[in-house]
Amino acid sequence: MSNPGHIVTSYEQELNQLRGLMARMGGLVESQTAHAIQAILEHNPEAAQMAMEQDPEVDALEREVEARAIKMLALRAPMAQDLREIVSALKVTSDLERIGDYAANVAKRSLRLGTAGADISLGGLRNMGRLVQEGLRLAIDALGQNDKDKALDVWRSDKAVDEIYTAMFRELVTYMMEDPRNIGACTHLLFIAKNLERIGDHATNIAERVHYAVTGEMLPPARPRGGFTPEATP
Amino acid sequence: MDDRTAPRPLPGMSFQATATAGTSTSPGTARPMISTRNLDFHYGASQALKGISLDFPARQVTGLIGPSGCGKSTLLRVLNRMYDLYPGQRATGEVLLDGETIIGPHVDANRLRSRVGMVFQKPTPFPMSVESNVAFGIRLHERLGRADMAARIEDALRRVALWNEVKDRLRTSATSLSGGQQQRLCIARTIATRPEVILLDEPTSALDPISTARIEELLDELKQDFTIAIVTHNLQQAARCADRVAFFYMGELVEVDEASRLFTTPRQKRTQDYITGRFG
Amino acid sequence: MSATAAMKAPTRDLGLLRRRRAADMVATVLCFAATLVVLAALASILWTLVANGIGGLTLRTLTRVTAPAGGNGGLLNPLVGSVIQVALATLLGTPIGLLAGIYLAEYGTGSAVANAVRFVSDMLLSAPSILVGLFVYLVLVAPFHHFSGWAGVVALAILVVPIVVRTSEDMLRLVPLSMREAAAALGAPHWKVVLLVCVRAARRGMMTGVLLAVARISGETAPLLFTSLGNLNWSLSLNRSMASLPVTIYQYAGSPADDWVQLAWTAALLITVGVLLINIAARLGLRGGDR
Repeated sequence: MSNPGHIVTSYEQELNQLRGLMARMGGLVESQTAHAIQAILEHNPEAAQMAMEQDPEVDALEREVEARAIKMLALRAPMAQDLREIVSALKVTSDLERIGDYAANVAKRSLRLGTAGADISLGGLRNMGRLVQEGLRLAIDALGQNDKDKALDVWRSDKAVDEIYTAMFRELVTYMMEDPRNIGACTHLLFIAKNLERIGDHATNIAERVHYAVTGEMLPPARPRGGFTPEATP
Repeated sequence: MDDRTAPRPLPGMSFQATATAGTSTSPGTARPMISTRNLDFHYGASQALKGISLDFPARQVTGLIGPSGCGKSTLLRVLNRMYDLYPGQRATGEVLLDGETIIGPHVDANRLRSRVGMVFQKPTPFPMSVESNVAFGIRLHERLGRADMAARIEDALRRVALWNEVKDRLRTSATSLSGGQQQRLCIARTIATRPEVILLDEPTSALDPISTARIEELLDELKQDFTIAIVTHNLQQAARCADRVAFFYMGELVEVDEASRLFTTPRQKRTQDYITGRFG
Repeated sequence: MSATAAMKAPTRDLGLLRRRRAADMVATVLCFAATLVVLAALASILWTLVANGIGGLTLRTLTRVTAPAGGNGGLLNPLVGSVIQVALATLLGTPIGLLAGIYLAEYGTGSAVANAVRFVSDMLLSAPSILVGLFVYLVLVAPFHHFSGWAGVVALAILVVPIVVRTSEDMLRLVPLSMREAAAALGAPHWKVVLLVCVRAARRGMMTGVLLAVARISGETAPLLFTSLGNLNWSLSLNRSMASLPVTIYQYAGSPADDWVQLAWTAALLITVGVLLINIAARLGLRGGDR
């Protein structure tokens, strides 16, 4: 979407500032998620600390974006693409904030987990973390570049995350059945996996909003989902 | 999507959705009260409208937007043959009012104007009493007794929500009313002649926000009975009042669609640039 | 950045500001002075008129006809003659002027005929009135070998027409286009738009034009000298020469007889007061009549 700028320069500036805030928030959440995943996979408490410390900043950014978006809606009466972009920003910012919360939660659990489950294979989690991070990065790129094709890619790829989650669920249940002493660690890991899966969902939401903002068309409500086949459902 | 259902053509009438690139056949595209087909308009040597094909669905508000000089007001002035007043202006193409052509020397412009009323940018009360202003239009076309005339005047003034404000000063000069009241009086004067279509050429651009809101409220009521076309520079106004909105640029009809769609997801880049304020 | 500019402006432009204030002061003073000069002239004329004329303004003056010097005469016949001639000339000239004005403003826009009519009318407006008198003398007096009141009426009417044409055309042109369009948009044919809306909207101004014409012809002497001539005896017949106040002033003012000079002053006062009364009455009549 290459557009000439607004006739009203201050409007264009406000839109750019909003985009800047969204980019900052996206970057922050991306690094928060990376730290959280690093904290689990490498048993790294410093990374966990980083992820948790970033959360208040993400919350503050969310409020800032919301305030600016509401102000623009009230004062500029945006139309068409501008309207879609601002309304999408309102929604995306709350998706990002939720992602931040999940990342912080994952980081917190990694501290509790400590080395308790050291003998449990983290292969599934590693895979899942990689996929979720990839999806999130792509979604945030799509947001920054107003790229509907990238958004569509994210939207389609969420299926893979869901499938890994289902697989991990089975794996962890197996560990717990093998040895009840694993139950504590496995429960934490299960929550962590669930949180990562939720992060993937929110990344998909972001992709949907970006697609709407760019094209004006809503993606169909049923997105490709994987995993929860009836027999796998707890 | 479910709003793609095709409009039902009326028997004996060749219905055609507005043939412009990227326009949809939207729901509620009822029977067109006015249709233009390949309408061209010239002011002397310069062409102001180029091949306009547009439907004005019955009992709906159609908003015409676009930058100054884009031809939207010109189109309005074709629909009641206002351009007849000026030499050197001519329209070619087809304009149908309820299926009858209105362009051509055999059409009586004064009779047409009794069917297609017009309200202007500035309130134009005649230099006579409030009552006589409303009676003026009626007397041109009908001969009514005193009681019938009084009832008709009251009815018109009530419909524009002016009756309570002026019932005690029907015989005072219309110029003593406020701007907003004067504009509502002009609308009353127009509807008193019982037209089928009302054309409004930027009717609120000279009014304060409260008077504007009153007129907009009025449009909502009037569309129960009349087909309305409104030219406005205020996009929010078009968004609030119009069911369908047509965007004009340099004498061409760029896009026409439901207001909710045109203002959120216009199909044409020119529309998008105009309504977001990026022209240049 | 606008704040800094605003703070800088007064210090930088102080000199300019002072010069502008001075220029403003000078212009204002000059305007007042010019107004004073005009008002002083007007007041002195009126004062002279009242001071010299009021003495002769008695019942005798208004009820007796003119008499030879020292003969204890009055102004009855010129007064009545003037009223009759001015009234008939207005009645004759106004409709022609109004209709021509309406034609020029509403129908003849851009046509060659209208341009010619407008040109001739404007010529007539500025033509010396004695020419009009001579013209009527040639057409209505010389062929019949006697002066007549009718000839005076026609001469005055010819003066009325261009004034009324000009003002009514101007006034109609001031009626906004939007009002004409609004009337036409209701389905009114052109003649109804003109008569019911435009003329209505312009009627105050058009009436002012008529009053202006009345005031103008009330004081005209030159066109009457060759037409109604003046009559020292009581006569209401328009077929014979007829007395009038301006001609009487012309004849009496230069006479050596003191009572005639006095009557001339009184006649002048009568014309002035009469025109004033007509104006006031017309304004009262028009006010509130916006129905």
